[in-house]
Amino acid sequence: MRIYAPAGEVSASMNGRAVSLTALAGKRIGVLDNRKPNAGLLLNRVANQICERTGAELVLIESKNAAIAAPDEVMGRLTKEVELVLTGSAD
Amino acid sequence: MMGSMTGNALPLQLDVADDDPDTLLAVYAEHGWGDGLPLIAPTEERVQTMLAALGGTDPDEVVAVLAPRLGEATRRMIAVNAVLAGCEPQHMPVLVTAVRALAAPALNLRGVNATTHPVAPLLVVHGEVASSAGYNAGLGAFGPGNRANATTGRALRLILLHIAGAMPGPGDASTQGGPAKYSYCVAENTEESPWGGYAHDAGVVTPSAVTLHCGEAPHNVHDMESDNPAAVFDKIASAMTSWGQNNAPISQGEYFVALCPEHASLAADAGWSRRDVASYLFNRATVRVGDARGAFDLLAWAPWQQCLGDDDRISMTEHPDNIKVLVVGGAGKHSSVIPSWGMTKSVTMAVEN
Repeated sequence: MRIYAPAGEVSASMNGRAVSLTALAGKRIGVLDNRKPNAGLLLNRVANQICERTGAELVLIESKNAAIAAPDEVMGRLTKEVELVLTGSAD
Repeated sequence: MMGSMTGNALPLQLDVADDDPDTLLAVYAEHGWGDGLPLIAPTEERVQTMLAALGGTDPDEVVAVLAPRLGEATRRMIAVNAVLAGCEPQHMPVLVTAVRALAAPALNLRGVNATTHPVAPLLVVHGEVASSAGYNAGLGAFGPGNRANATTGRALRLILLHIAGAMPGPGDASTQGGPAKYSYCVAENTEESPWGGYAHDAGVVTPSAVTLHCGEAPHNVHDMESDNPAAVFDKIASAMTSWGQNNAPISQGEYFVALCPEHASLAADAGWSRRDVASYLFNRATVRVGDARGAFDLLAWAPWQQCLGDDDRISMTEHPDNIKVLVVGGAGKHSSVIPSWGMTKSVTMAVEN
């Protein structure tokens, strides 16, 4: 017998993933701190180590509330000023 | 065995040997579907019976796109999950409206599903449909024992699991989970409300409505002895001021205060309106500002609250309008407080087909 599956389709409006950078030398890096405990500390240290190892440059540090999407102006600055964003830290 | 597939590699239909519950449970488990309880097989005939209750509306119209998976909740897919949960056709209008409410931006479904907090959307059914479709607003309204409450709440959770992708782990980071994540549906006891229906006061003037409030499981408040409302509502205020709830550091958070009819009538008989109850609780559910600053590194307070001195007192929410008062339950003197997750607002909508 045939039955339905329960999940259905995914919206076509779903954004795809960005293409990965092939090299970081000379690239501009940003940090988006979601204000979870120690997120800023962790992300900034990772960013600085990446810069030391690859020749990338940390140029922008932004923050947002973890529970909601980043405001448009924050996303706008990141989109305009950097090529790689480090973000995401849980409790 | 798989049938037709979608572009996102999940099947739309499955071929199974029979509709034995154990068979269905095993087949669904292979895909990570289900809530762990036995399911009813969503055959074409059963799904069509559900859809017939929606008055000829387009079964494949997308009612809502649900985060984080961004799954398309069509009426057909809502019906599929309603069958799985054990709903009856008369529950479909409530369920479809609730799904539309899930996608309201103010509710912040992505955050609700992604958080480590045990938040679950509480579905409150208001008005005529509550009685016509068999929802329980009286004794034991939060359950168990009533099919409409149990299965509609369960169907909403299955929709979150399947369509929204809120599976524990990849789509729901809740540290401990919670019983409200199985089924969380109740009807408002409008008949015994001294203030009329909640939805009308919320601006939804319609025969039937639903409210979604993304919050914790109910916190009980009992008061058997008081003969004045202030004493009862001081106890309710004490339940609103626990440090462990998200509303403590997030001032935009809402509280749903589900009063039993006896506590509600005690207030109304003393001349208190629904608004008076909220105002009283706003003034009594307070903490010392310095204590709050000591308890949390990050306080998502309104700007005016940030200017308060350490020895001032601050309400657990920034405005009395964030305290929502309605009547639920039957005889006895137990009410409940349902704090929100924090970064979410409740949504009330007219029931549609």
